[in-house]
Amino acid sequence: MTRIKCSQLRGKKPDEVQKQLSDLRQELNTLRVGKVTGSGGAQKLGKIRNVRKSIARVLIVRNQTTKDNLRKLYHGKKYKPKDLRKRKTRAIRRLFTPKENSVQLRKVQRRQWAFPQRIYAVKA
Amino acid sequence: MGPKKETKEASASAKKKDAPAATTTATASAKKTTKTAGNTTTATKVVTKERKEKVKSTALKAKQRVVRGNQLTRKRKIHTKPTFRRPFTLRLQRQPKYPRRSVPKRNRLDHFAIIKYPLTTESAMKKIEDNNTLVFIVNIRANKPLIKQAVKKMYDVDAEKVNTLIRPDGEKKAYVRLKADHDALDVANRIGII
Repeated sequence: MTRIKCSQLRGKKPDEVQKQLSDLRQELNTLRVGKVTGSGGAQKLGKIRNVRKSIARVLIVRNQTTKDNLRKLYHGKKYKPKDLRKRKTRAIRRLFTPKENSVQLRKVQRRQWAFPQRIYAVKA
Repeated sequence: MGPKKETKEASASAKKKDAPAATTTATASAKKTTKTAGNTTTATKVVTKERKEKVKSTALKAKQRVVRGNQLTRKRKIHTKPTFRRPFTLRLQRQPKYPRRSVPKRNRLDHFAIIKYPLTTESAMKKIEDNNTLVFIVNIRANKPLIKQAVKKMYDVDAEKVNTLIRPDGEKKAYVRLKADHDALDVANRIGII
């Protein structure tokens, strides 16, 4: 069996990918039956590993593309699903945003405007 | 009496002058002006359009209040029992602004995962020939109805009943008795267990 490559899979449509997945899983089942009944021999037994890894590749590609499309869908929206938000750490997610941090009392704002830090230069 | 009337008339005419400016109908106001011109001498009241509307609105409000009931003087409910149970209140359905998970979890126990492989031991062969049953090693988390569905989906056969047991090595064994119109031997040949 030719080795399935991820780059090939990414080009395919989702129905094709789904079909490929079910084909592979069917094949895996028949191989497992063969293993139990003792038919085939070393070649067939070795094939089991290839099929398992191919299934993994198909699933990787499928899940990556769906996640990617969802990220595009929710891009710029205010409310995103929690697994599409940035993860960082729990504490960091609860910190103030830079804007919230920069909020000042009106008294302080006025004071800064009225009495800014002056810079002087000494005449040589 | 005289000066009072005059002032009233003056105010009325002033009102009249305002009314045409405010409203769009010029003819009605013109009519009114002619009417008042005639009534200046008598003691009849001058009814402007504005006053008519005001009267109408107060009458309407009064009617509404009668229908609605004045909120300040509400009737008290009579409680005939000593206990007070919380009344049924409005319970709204959830309208989430975003799904919590972007993609719903995929079913890890689908029919490919349920049936692992069929058994080909001597006793299993005996079961196939004599009792019209197939013997499978099955995912331990599968239950009998799920096994029935999986067998139907994978091998296109109807099961009459499923018996399960958990082997000492931790695997689940399922004896799937097929319906009378299926032959276990044929199905076994088709699957690959001979």
